[in-house]
Amino acid sequence: MNTAPLSESMANAGDARKITIAQVLVYELRVRDAMSRPPITALPSDSLRTIQQLMKQHKISGVPIQLGTKLLGIISIEDIITALDQGHINNTAQQCMAHTVITIRDHFSLVRAVAEFERYGFGRFPVLDSADRLVGVLTRGDITNCLMHQLEKRAEEAITYEAAALAARAGDDQAQRVVIRAPVRTGDYDSAGKISQRLRQVLRERAIDPDVRRRAAIVAYEAETNIIIHTLGGEIAVAIDPDKVVIDATDTGPGIEDIDQAMQEGWSTAGRLPRELGFGAGMGLPNMKRCSDVFEIKSGTGGQTHVHSEVFLRKVAVKL
Amino acid sequence: MKLDTDQKLPAALLAVQARPLTNTEGVHVTDCYISDLLSDVLARAKPGMLWVTVQIHRNVISVAATNDIAAVLFTCGRQPDASVIAEAETEGIVLLTTPLTTYEAAGKLWQAGIHD
Repeated sequence: MNTAPLSESMANAGDARKITIAQVLVYELRVRDAMSRPPITALPSDSLRTIQQLMKQHKISGVPIQLGTKLLGIISIEDIITALDQGHINNTAQQCMAHTVITIRDHFSLVRAVAEFERYGFGRFPVLDSADRLVGVLTRGDITNCLMHQLEKRAEEAITYEAAALAARAGDDQAQRVVIRAPVRTGDYDSAGKISQRLRQVLRERAIDPDVRRRAAIVAYEAETNIIIHTLGGEIAVAIDPDKVVIDATDTGPGIEDIDQAMQEGWSTAGRLPRELGFGAGMGLPNMKRCSDVFEIKSGTGGQTHVHSEVFLRKVAVKL
Repeated sequence: MKLDTDQKLPAALLAVQARPLTNTEGVHVTDCYISDLLSDVLARAKPGMLWVTVQIHRNVISVAATNDIAAVLFTCGRQPDASVIAEAETEGIVLLTTPLTTYEAAGKLWQAGIHD
C-alpha cells in the first residue's frame, strides 16, 4: 500500500456518498496502490526448484523472470506442479517459462485491472510502469486487500464524522468545517487534481455559487500542480468553512528565487516533461492570485515556500 | 448546440468528423476554446465550452472538471487511454476525437456557427 492518503478530519458523509463509496474506490485507486512491491523475481538461469522455494518462502504463486531491467517471462505455481509431475523440476526457468507475458500498467484503475483478470483468467499480472520497468505484481487478493483497507479508512472517517455531527447538533457552527489535508509528491502528475476534486464535491454539496466554486478549485489545482512540477514535494491543506475556503500549500524546497518574476504571466521554470504535458504555461501563480480573495506567498532560496489563499464563499442566489 | 439523445452528433461536430469516446447525451456546447496549455485553459476557457486540444493525459479531465468544461475534442486523431475516458464518464465530461488538425477543426467549427 502506497496510497497518498487523502485524509479528511471531518468528511461530509451524506447518503449519496455511502451508496457510491465502493464504486468510487475502484475507479479512484490505481494498480500501483494495490500491487505487491518490490516484485519477487528470479533469473532465467534459476532452476524451477529454486523458484519453488522462493514461492514457498514468500507465499506467492507466480514469479516474474527478469534479466537486468527486462521482463522475460513468468513462472507460475501451475508450471511448478507440471514440472514436479513430469520430473523436470531441475530445469531452468528459461526452458519452462511462458515467453509472451501479459502485463498490466501501474497507472490503470483497479476497475480496469479487474476487467483484465476476467479477460485473461490469470492469477497474477506483472506490473510495468510507463518506462516498461517491472515495478510489482498484482493478484486478485491484492485488489481485495487494498479495497478492504480503504473501506476501513473511510469507515473510520465516517465515525469521526458522526461524532462531529453530534457535536454540531449541540449548536456549534464550527463543526461545519471540513479539512482536507494531503501530501503531494514531486513528479506525480497522475495524482494531480485529487484534492481539488474533493473540494469541488464539498462545495457542490453545499450549493456554493458555481463561479466561486470554480475559483476555489482552480486555486487548489494550481497549488497541487505547482508542488508536483516545481518542488521536492509538500503538502496541501484545504479548510472549508461555511464562509470561506482557506488553502495552504507548503513545500520542502528549493524555494522561489524571484517571487515578482514568478508572478508574471508567461514566466516559467518548468522542465521539458511537464511542458510537453501542457504544464509550465507560466500562469499557475497568476491564476491562483486572480482567483483568490486573499493571496500571500512566502519563499526563501533553499527553504520552503508557503502559499496561502482564501476564497470567500457565497451560496447560489435563489430566484423567487 | 444540443446533442440528440440517440447520440446523433449535431452538424458542427459532424463537420469535423468527430467520433464520440464517451456518452454524449444531453450536452450543451455554447462556445469553444483552443489551447494545449492547462493553466491557460483554467484562466480563459468559460464554463460550458468545448475545449479543443492535442493533450490526452488525465490532467485534461481534471482541468475540464475544475472549470466546468462541457466537452473536449482531441485533434489529429488522438485518443486518450481507457482510464482517462472512464474518469471523464465519472465527471460527466464528453470526449470526442477528430482526424483533423487543430487548425482545420477550428475553421470548420467556426463555420458551423460555434462562436458567440
